[in-house]
Amino acid sequence: MDPTIKDFETAIAELESIVKKLEEGDLPLEGSLQLYERGVQLSRYCHARLEDAERRIEVLNERGQLKPAPDALSDDEDAGTARGR
Amino acid sequence: MTTFGLPFDDPEPNGARRAPETARPEPPGLPASRGPAPQPEPDVDDEPIHPERHIFTVSELTADIRSLLEAQFFEVWLQGELSNCRLWNTGHLYFTLKDAGAQIRGVMFRSAVRLLKFKPQDGLHVIARGRVGVYEAKGEYQIVCEHIEPEGLGALQLAFDQVKQRLASEGLFDPARKRPLPVLPRKIGVVTSLDGAAIRDIVKVLRRRYANAHIVIRPTRVQGEGAAAEIARALAAIGAVDGVDVVIVGRGGGSIEDLWAFNEEAVARAIAACPVPTISAVGHETDVTIADFVADLRAPTPSAAAEMVVARKDEVAARIDRLAQRIDAATRGRLYRVESRLRALDARGGYAGFSGRLAMRGRHVGELSHELRRVMHARLMQRERASQALRLSLERLDLRRRLADVGGRLRAADAALAARMAQRRLARQARLGRAVAQLESLSPLAVLGRGYAVCWNADRTAVLHAADEARPGDRVQVTLGRGELDCEVRAASPDRRTPPPEG
Repeated sequence: MDPTIKDFETAIAELESIVKKLEEGDLPLEGSLQLYERGVQLSRYCHARLEDAERRIEVLNERGQLKPAPDALSDDEDAGTARGR
Repeated sequence: MTTFGLPFDDPEPNGARRAPETARPEPPGLPASRGPAPQPEPDVDDEPIHPERHIFTVSELTADIRSLLEAQFFEVWLQGELSNCRLWNTGHLYFTLKDAGAQIRGVMFRSAVRLLKFKPQDGLHVIARGRVGVYEAKGEYQIVCEHIEPEGLGALQLAFDQVKQRLASEGLFDPARKRPLPVLPRKIGVVTSLDGAAIRDIVKVLRRRYANAHIVIRPTRVQGEGAAAEIARALAAIGAVDGVDVVIVGRGGGSIEDLWAFNEEAVARAIAACPVPTISAVGHETDVTIADFVADLRAPTPSAAAEMVVARKDEVAARIDRLAQRIDAATRGRLYRVESRLRALDARGGYAGFSGRLAMRGRHVGELSHELRRVMHARLMQRERASQALRLSLERLDLRRRLADVGGRLRAADAALAARMAQRRLARQARLGRAVAQLESLSPLAVLGRGYAVCWNADRTAVLHAADEARPGDRVQVTLGRGELDCEVRAASPDRRTPPPEG
């Protein structure tokens, strides 16, 4: 990911400040185009972040290791009926 | 019920106590009416008392007392007020139980203390179950309690109130401690039982609302002896997993005893210590636990907790889209204003005035046409530069490529923008073409051909506009439709207008 973007929340905040600056509208053309470019970059980053979380379920065991969750949990369909309490 | 009096009625095997029967009369005998009988009355039994007198050792008596008391009071229920409560390092609890008229010391051993849900405190009215024990070494008796419960309120309720009060006084429920949930969780930690309904509910909801959610589960027992400690350990463990930025801790519904672990101090403290925002989700809507007070957010149920975490994805996507749209709109507005300015620089606006004046003011023809060229050139260059810059910017933006990633709506909007930009560029080029044609038609040579002339200074660096720009004797150059004249000024008359050339 772009090293100039710290994380999702700062990206959103920067997007908001760009919108504000652009909407005030008294920037030179070159400046506003740069902001536009940055805005596109940020919104692209944000959308990517929304999608890039891995679809994954893991179980952290007693020894601190991450293992894939039992199939019963990972399955989309609720397999709980097969499990006792 | 038999009483302490019993032992004294209990004949000792050796008949040592035979005496009473006969001795008793002694007090009654106090009708001292008999006066100071100097010597023992001539009672028959007087004599034998001394030989038969049994002398206990302290140990013997104490042992007797002990066996009597412990046999007699091996299980009693006792009601009283706790005082002098002290929990020793050994884990044993020492206290005094009292009422208005008496008190008895009490002890509760560690194994029993551990099972107490509430914390014994001075002033509590309790009902204790236990046995009387005698500590021979000190000649003390006490009640050894197996169980103590608060009178009135249930033990659990009392325990709840006590923990709640203690943690509240430490500020653990302070609203200022509540942390906001992450806008977009990277990994969602879940602390609960793998076998319960809660985990299935949570996973199901997360999956439905945020299909690519990354979930890390730390399984733990959630009820029974030791569950609280286990939950606390699990919270510490999951808080340390890299990337986990929100934690759900909870379980499905159950009895108050089932949910009890979530009222225990260990769990509350673990939640408070969790490095990331934590949502409590215990039981049903109506179940309120201590964990709920400490958590950054309380969810009425495990499913609701999952919704709180990922309801945000929808919101966020919409928010980004709105921001992107506004950026796009603002930029398009900006470009539009640039377009307008460029258009204003176009031919029509630029030389309408020139051509008008040109027609009226013949004497400036040469100057004007020269100026016209200069201005036109400058402006064309300027516009070319602006256009070039704009084009470069647009190319750098590569609107289509970048916006392709942003999503449907944005993509459509940008395609439209790009199309419009291209269209305008074409229009601008067409206007430029027309301007050039118009410029051609205004060629100064053509004007000069009609008899106008341009008068320059001697070195031909400037066009003369007024008579006082030259003095008698100055050399001037005059450009005619065909050829040039090298002239000398004889006189300059600022006020007089030169007669019309065709006059």
